[in-house]
Amino acid sequence: MISRRTLLRGTAAGALVVAIPVPALASESLMPNVFVRLDDQGRITATAPRPDTGQGVRTVVALMVAEELAVDTSDITVEQAPGDTERFGSQAVANSSSVRQLATPIRTAAATARCLLVTAAAQRWRVPVTECVAKDGAVCHPRRGKLPYRALVRAAAALDPATVPVELTPPEKWRLLGRTRGGRVDARDIVTGRTRYGIDARPPGGLVAVVARPPWLGAVPDTIDDTTTRALPGVVEVLTLTAPGDGQGGVAVVARSTHQALRGRDALRITWHGGTPAADSRAWITDLETALPASSPINGVQRIYRMPLLAHAPMEPMNATAHVRPDGVTVWAPTQDPGGLRTQLARQLGVPATAVRVEASASGGAFGRRIEPDPVLEAVACSRRTNAPVQVLWTRADDMRHDSYRPMSVHRMSAEIGVNGMPIRRAHEVVTWPLTVLPPFANPALIKASGDHFPYTVPGDVTVTVRPAPLRTGFWRAVYAGQFLYAEENFLSEIGTRSGLDQIALRRALLPAGSRLHRVLDTVAARARWDKPARGTARGVACHEDYGSAIAVIAVAEPESRRVLRVHAAVDVGVALHPSGVRAQVEGCVADAVSTVLGAQITVREGRVVESSFGDYRWARIGHTPDIDVTIVQTNAPLGGLGELAYPPAAAAIAAALAGGAPVTGMPFGTDVG
Amino acid sequence: MTRYLLRVNGERREVDVEGDTPLLWVLRDELGLTGVKYGCGVGLCGACTSHVDGEAARPCVRTTADSTRTPITTIEGLSRDGDHPVQRAWRELDVAQCGYCQPGQVMAAAALLARDPDPDDEAIEEALRDNVCRCGTYPRIRAAVRRASRIMREAQ
Repeated sequence: MISRRTLLRGTAAGALVVAIPVPALASESLMPNVFVRLDDQGRITATAPRPDTGQGVRTVVALMVAEELAVDTSDITVEQAPGDTERFGSQAVANSSSVRQLATPIRTAAATARCLLVTAAAQRWRVPVTECVAKDGAVCHPRRGKLPYRALVRAAAALDPATVPVELTPPEKWRLLGRTRGGRVDARDIVTGRTRYGIDARPPGGLVAVVARPPWLGAVPDTIDDTTTRALPGVVEVLTLTAPGDGQGGVAVVARSTHQALRGRDALRITWHGGTPAADSRAWITDLETALPASSPINGVQRIYRMPLLAHAPMEPMNATAHVRPDGVTVWAPTQDPGGLRTQLARQLGVPATAVRVEASASGGAFGRRIEPDPVLEAVACSRRTNAPVQVLWTRADDMRHDSYRPMSVHRMSAEIGVNGMPIRRAHEVVTWPLTVLPPFANPALIKASGDHFPYTVPGDVTVTVRPAPLRTGFWRAVYAGQFLYAEENFLSEIGTRSGLDQIALRRALLPAGSRLHRVLDTVAARARWDKPARGTARGVACHEDYGSAIAVIAVAEPESRRVLRVHAAVDVGVALHPSGVRAQVEGCVADAVSTVLGAQITVREGRVVESSFGDYRWARIGHTPDIDVTIVQTNAPLGGLGELAYPPAAAAIAAALAGGAPVTGMPFGTDVG
Repeated sequence: MTRYLLRVNGERREVDVEGDTPLLWVLRDELGLTGVKYGCGVGLCGACTSHVDGEAARPCVRTTADSTRTPITTIEGLSRDGDHPVQRAWRELDVAQCGYCQPGQVMAAAALLARDPDPDDEAIEEALRDNVCRCGTYPRIRAAVRRASRIMREAQ
């Protein structure tokens, strides 16, 4: 297949910058850029450059291409791009950026294809371009009839795109984008079990490995007796993973089947040494609190908030499959960054990037964990040793006990209260850990930038003290904002209660004029019938502005029974391209908030993570889930991000509602932290 | 290694494994039925939920040796074309996010509706209590079970 021309090329930021027309040779397909391809059978293929981890990016890509090409999403095949930053720019699912960064290049790509097809039809008919329109997979003219795309692909591909003006379909003409109908493009595959996740990779001749991991933090193998293991049926190899490039370290058992690998691991006799066998998360939270400055800069109302360790616990446990061959390596991985992974593997293996193929599988959840490459590095090490494709599977306990956790933190909030009962000066002192998976996140300024999005007009300082992390820490949905905002909004609620102020009126008064939050706050207050509180219930309110979007949340709870009854959210992402997907992201964040406020936390005793599965990491079940009411406020703001936006305010509002006017002191609500 | 005869999705399938191999790994590794998802391996998350003798069951906590006498249905065998009322309702309400837990949720919901065609919220929550969804699709699952119930009743 010869690619005719590359019009648009992604950059590291995924933005549209370069136009490189490649001279046409022969013309059996139209490929205005790497995102859209039409062949002379009329088949339309859209390429999703970033992986779908549940956020629905494949669906939004299909909607954008279908909209601009005047077809239905069912006419489009969505291909998942392999890792290749040269062609696709950044492929990282991070910072709630996918739709924001992809919308312009992908819509432009599809609109370019449409304009070329329309121009080709106009030339064939010898009519003005303005008399032709694209509709239902054909170009139509009031007198000449219609020509299907497949009859125009060759002619369109021969045109010089630089001579054809490209117009995006304006929002008022959208048939698909912004409409509520239509679900996920992968819905049928999902409900029939056909979706292939990373764990479902089955290359021919593939082996399975599980890794005996350190029984306490930082332990390394001392002596390894694998005699029994090697004698078991199906066991192929036992290898020690110790090099920094091998992942987190441990002893891998490679076998013909998963069960044989698990049995092999059980039969290993390993002694371990080093590390921190006495580590205890209760001592860690005390250490953080001790590291607070001796006195607060403000002498007034004060409250300390303690935040726990959290695990990602995606439904699909960590896994990766690799096949290392003499001429290169192929990886099948549920990853949040196939492009970055390919670059890293090429560097580590000392081969050109073209020798590394990274297939981005569907991910059974990610929540920040799959930005890290450690399972892939383990699979590469196992495959290199056995010269076969190897899948490394983490059991649920491996996944929960060897995660990169959301850091613990302690927040001391102080405020000076004015005569009207409102805060007039504030201080927020944070003590926390860095994100060990990305060294720049040891910088207090970066932690502050991630966490501090205080939207209210109360002058004051946020200071961050960083203590060394006693275990691996990483990116967890909303990153530091989840901790910072929980403290800020609950403190504001406490001030409101002390001063006898209405929580909505208080926030409205403190928001700067012209803030986007005014509208979502008013909308959510109306939805929740704020002026008519129900007997026996309590409400909590929180606002958040980040990722170019704004959201206000009201939670309604029954403090007596510790039940969260309803959560209302009003969200402004500018233009919501896929409203059902927008609601889904908010609903998901609310579920995370219910889970973490009501009791899910990771604890460490005698050097090991106590929680091992969904029995003791108490994630919400269907019966804990409140009714969730999401209102989308459409505005003219540029496209905003959403995947992480609703978690911090939902958690804060839910805790305030459960407290029913009493002060909140940390997370989980009403439980000791650590 | 022992030879076992299983009845899976209406077919007789022979496998050669150790008898203590959990049914989950036989379905996934030996029979290629990867719609049956591994989530915890200890019967806590429901991702592998399938039907054994028509009832919702957890293949991760059943041995192969104990699975030879009863018919097993996995998500791949729930319907010929993906149009079981539960699967239709799941699509209509756009339930899935990452989708990983959904085969298990769908199988648990289908088993519930087979014995209770019109479950109330309490019955839905009871039947699906141990099917974890980490994306938080629970409100849509609740609504989709009710929708599936209606689709089934309308078809009668």
